[in-house]
Amino acid sequence: MERDTGSRREAVRQAAALWVVRLDDPSCSEADRAAFEAWRGESFEHEAAYEREAVAWARLDRARALRPGLQRPDADLLAPAPKPRLTALARSPWARGLAASAAMALIVAGSLSFGTSTAYATAIGERRVVVLDDNSRIELNTNSKVVVRFKRGVREVKLIKGEALFDAAPDARPFVVKAANAVIAADGSAQLAVRLGSDGAAVTVRKGAVDVDPVRAEAKDDMRLTAGVAAIYDSRGTRSRAVSEAEIDRSLAWRQGAIALNGQSLAQAAAEFNRYNHRQIRIADPSIASLRLAGYFQTTEPTSFVSAVTSAFPVRASQGEDGAIRLSRRS
Amino acid sequence: MAQDDEDRRAWFRREILPLEPELLAYARRFCRDGQTDPEDLVHDAFARAIACKTWREIGNPAAFATRVLRNCALDALRRRKVLTITAVADFDRIEPIDEAPGAQAIMESREALQALADAIAELPTQCRRVFTLRKVYNLSPDEIAGRMGLSVSTVEKHLVKGLRYCSDKLGRRSERKSKVDERRSWSGTRDQDAKR
Repeated sequence: MERDTGSRREAVRQAAALWVVRLDDPSCSEADRAAFEAWRGESFEHEAAYEREAVAWARLDRARALRPGLQRPDADLLAPAPKPRLTALARSPWARGLAASAAMALIVAGSLSFGTSTAYATAIGERRVVVLDDNSRIELNTNSKVVVRFKRGVREVKLIKGEALFDAAPDARPFVVKAANAVIAADGSAQLAVRLGSDGAAVTVRKGAVDVDPVRAEAKDDMRLTAGVAAIYDSRGTRSRAVSEAEIDRSLAWRQGAIALNGQSLAQAAAEFNRYNHRQIRIADPSIASLRLAGYFQTTEPTSFVSAVTSAFPVRASQGEDGAIRLSRRS
Repeated sequence: MAQDDEDRRAWFRREILPLEPELLAYARRFCRDGQTDPEDLVHDAFARAIACKTWREIGNPAAFATRVLRNCALDALRRRKVLTITAVADFDRIEPIDEAPGAQAIMESREALQALADAIAELPTQCRRVFTLRKVYNLSPDEIAGRMGLSVSTVEKHLVKGLRYCSDKLGRRSERKSKVDERRSWSGTRDQDAKR
């Protein structure tokens, strides 16, 4: 329900931005102005949205100060960091080293450049939905980051950290998700969840199908995953297994701001809460780490989780010196 | 009447719009369960604030905007089918934004200019070119269309895209001097209020 409002809001803001652009066009007609007045008069929402875009547009006039004197207009004036041109390499090792560092700089500039790729990130405890130009959708969980790059006929999305759910929109260009050492090519309208672990990635296919091949050229690891399959790629190799719909929904409870536990250990549950909160839960006593838990908790409510644990198990909670919640065995 | 409307809009531009980064940060505190989009709350709050006919009587615009946003958040909560107890409890713990007036130290203009240049530099290539010709060189959409071999409507599309990107980006960036620690300043205000 609420999720629909984002696109309605964006539609209003786009319409407002178009009016700002039109009204500032010297060839704007009286009829256009009248149409604008009518549109603005429709609601306070339109009125406020117009003011917002108009103020931003006016603020951008300051960009005129960036204009160098007496030159023909340069459309690429504000292009991101110019790429150093690599000329013929000199023979001396010193010059070669210099050229190598120039090449390094080129690579670094490329990965930081926003000209062709865009990064989206969330802070701890935050979630975010991103709709891409092709209508593909990315839902980012807490403390996560993706870099989106549409180039040479490929829609490439790289998961840099955390966890995300990807909805690939049907399109002639392949939709490729990269995460750790996995490269996943999703079919149009496939839905997949990817989570980065300490040394690899876990991929769960919820709808449609994907082709996976690890970056390492072990072509025999190529495989096709269909809905209801989860696979893990890490230093120990690749393994996949079937997962039930209920299990998938539980693993995606974060979309509702929740953690769904179904027999996980206290250690796993605490690690899960720690992803969403600055206030950490620490298990001070290994003898309670393997207690098994079930339940449905708010990600942002570690204290209600802790009080559920302390009332159900012989566990005591205390305040650690660093503000963390310390769990130990109640004697 | 028309003048009255223009005055009301000018008030909104002058007093309410610059609060956007603070309001967005404040809105996030109501959205921690992920059911509501903070951008929606800010958008709704702006629409309600600009509708205020009695704006002349508002002495503290930041306090007013905070209250409006809080009401928007409460309404969004009421529209929800399932109300969790924790969501309601959370609401009571959210303190208003720092309402101290006169905190508007405009940041150094060179820094502001750099922020604009950075925002434009982040646009996709073609969009950035169109935007640069319009905003830096002040060419009209017709001239840009002729020069780049595009239709005027394509030029408009690029300009809308560029403007939307920059207005979001600049809206998140405070023009005021940023607080050392937002959370601390919020709870600090709260403590003082409680003592009064």
